Amino acid sequence: MSGGTRSPAATPRRHPRPRPHVRPPGRPGRRRPGAARRALAALAFLLPTLLVFGYFAWWPILRSVTLSFQHTNLIDPPSWVGWANFGYVLTDPLLATTVRNTVWFVLLALVLGFPLPLFLAVVMSELRRFGALFRVLVYLPVVVPPVVAVLLWRWFYDPDYGLFNQALGLVGLGPYPWLQSTATAMPSLVLQATWAAAGSSVLIYLAALVSVPTELYEAAEIDGASIRRRLWHVTLPHLRGVLLVMLLLQIIGTFRVFTEPFVLTDGGPEDSTTTILLLIYRYAFVYGDYGAAAALGVLLAIALAALSAVYLRATRRWNPS
Amino acid sequence: MRRRLRGLLVGFLSATLATTAVTGCSSAPGGAPGDVTITVAGLPPATQPNVRRQFLEQVAAFEEANPGIDVQPTETEWEARTFAARLAGGRLETVLRVPLTEPARMFARGQIADITAEAAALPHADAFDRRALAPVTDPSGRLFGLPVSEYALGLVYNRELFARAGLDPERPPATWEEVRRAAAAVWEATGVAGFAMPTTNNTGGWVLTAMTYTHGGRMEQEVDGATVATFDTEPARAALDLLRAMRWEDASMGTQHLRNAADIGKDFAAGRVAMMVATPSFYVEHVTQYGGDPAAYGMAALPSAGTPATLLGGDVAVVSPTATAEERAAAVAWIDFYYLKRKYDPAFAETVAASLAADDVPVGFPTVPLYGPEVTEPARQAELRHANVPVENFRPFETGLAEQEFVTEPPVAAQEAYAALDAAVQAVLTRQDADPAAELRRAQEKAAPALARDQR
Repeated sequence: MSGGTRSPAATPRRHPRPRPHVRPPGRPGRRRPGAARRALAALAFLLPTLLVFGYFAWWPILRSVTLSFQHTNLIDPPSWVGWANFGYVLTDPLLATTVRNTVWFVLLALVLGFPLPLFLAVVMSELRRFGALFRVLVYLPVVVPPVVAVLLWRWFYDPDYGLFNQALGLVGLGPYPWLQSTATAMPSLVLQATWAAAGSSVLIYLAALVSVPTELYEAAEIDGASIRRRLWHVTLPHLRGVLLVMLLLQIIGTFRVFTEPFVLTDGGPEDSTTTILLLIYRYAFVYGDYGAAAALGVLLAIALAALSAVYLRATRRWNPS
Repeated sequence: MRRRLRGLLVGFLSATLATTAVTGCSSAPGGAPGDVTITVAGLPPATQPNVRRQFLEQVAAFEEANPGIDVQPTETEWEARTFAARLAGGRLETVLRVPLTEPARMFARGQIADITAEAAALPHADAFDRRALAPVTDPSGRLFGLPVSEYALGLVYNRELFARAGLDPERPPATWEEVRRAAAAVWEATGVAGFAMPTTNNTGGWVLTAMTYTHGGRMEQEVDGATVATFDTEPARAALDLLRAMRWEDASMGTQHLRNAADIGKDFAAGRVAMMVATPSFYVEHVTQYGGDPAAYGMAALPSAGTPATLLGGDVAVVSPTATAEERAAAVAWIDFYYLKRKYDPAFAETVAASLAADDVPVGFPTVPLYGPEVTEPARQAELRHANVPVENFRPFETGLAEQEFVTEPPVAAQEAYAALDAAVQAVLTRQDADPAAELRRAQEKAAPALARDQR
């Protein structure tokens, strides 16, 4: 795979094999009897899902886009205002702060939240005993309702009575301001979010680890490879596809961070944890400006779509699928 | 199998038809043609059986007194998050109770009805106190709601902590300088935060605005025909600088500075805060929800720095904008019967007070009079005959209130203004080198686009 040599995997793409026959044997051009009926039946089965999905997912997306060009009080017919909502959102002094905060959250979550579940999964897959117990313990935070979990952490972070400062005080450390300081508020949110979300990722990685052929590990062991080299040369290459998807999902998910700043800090102190979604929420439900909220939502969706496209393009050559 | 399926289908259809018929009957307004049905929010949940029963008894009494009106109560309470969806879905109740901070903007957006004509026909309509009606009156004099409980912001203090700190609970602070000294004394003697200031969910901006009023300032002013944010003024700087001094020079405000008014209320009830700014109605939560000691609850008027003034809080009953003329009239009649009659009819006030007291619902804490004294006083005296709150503990508040000017919310984009001011309060309380003037200027710049947008 070193520079200059072409990967064998590239060959089929340049000279694609003829497509396999998908049409069943029979006279050319003639449909198999009952195919139309089966297609109709399939459509009938699919229709409820399409309707539900269309009504609850695609229609609201379309409505959001139209709403971003309207002014409405939700009672009278909406009026078209052109790009005014986008103009207002883009000139809001808070927008730059929220974008900066959101990107900061995403980066911190990548550094802290992305490798940790993988590390835990690898360690747990090596366990010979108590594997099930650890899986339960790691997954437990996911079972706790998000708002309850966040409220729990709010108590952990309390500067006077909180668990963290009390515990650290026993060894002579602190008290630390956690959420009360612009410097530590965002990392504190990331810590909570990582704790809450790691369980799901660990399970996905554990499932992916099962698919790695054990013979490869055995061969590597015979060759004298250390644990680190086995991880680097056997495990990670096999998890590449899963890792790429998980990374993309994590980036998109963390860009939409809302619950943690909403419940823990309400965007403070000094707007240091006000994220884009929190601003959208305020536009709509505190200030009653649904047009501005929709406009910012559309801008965020476009940014995320562009980011995803760039990411997929940049990682195409690494993606086994 | 097929027969069984057919049987199930027939059964299902029959059940559906029967259900439709029954609900069709029940949803039709009962009684003679021309009857009107209104939905009213605020039915207490089943977890509060006494208050719920009282509400339902009032509904029955109202229907008996107004045979043409059918009242359907719901447990809905106003909530910012669900209001928009319910409005868009046509599910808004005919009568809804909302916090005093909300209806001005809702009316400007056309989301609540104009009830000027209906309110003018009410008993004692000409005796309404103008100060009480100010928060529900638009600049052209139209009425978009009726205040059902109005409270002036004041200083709530823990009498027990005051006594432990060697302060006289009968003589609470009347000026902000006295608040500062008392806070320092409590902190020194007990280790409890002497004064707590909310900073999130726009409540920091809300209280800072009230403090600024007591320093003679206003957060918004009219300039060349437009309302602009005027945060960075001497009165606002003085208010913020007082907080800075208490936080960093006296260290009398504790260490938790990222919470809203409700969070502070819980800490106050638990004896972890000695003073805070709140309305007298907070007494209800203090006792019934947070298990606070009634005897420890003391209340004084909002301290002043030369200008006796306060900001009003409380609830307003508003009417759905989609209500017909008949429904609007019925809605205002209900508001009058359920919320206002006890404020002007001594006999009714006494009946309601006796009934509430029998169910251990707090009775007797002071409210802002909605009518002039000749109407209010007899009803208030009748209510006090069944008071079960420590009325004497509210005396400093009532005495101070008489001299205060009632100032309303900032007229334009109040929530955006409060949100921007939240950050200024947070800065001063969490960062020692924060400069109040610079923080106010920053907040002013942040709020400016919202004010401009609302006046387009």
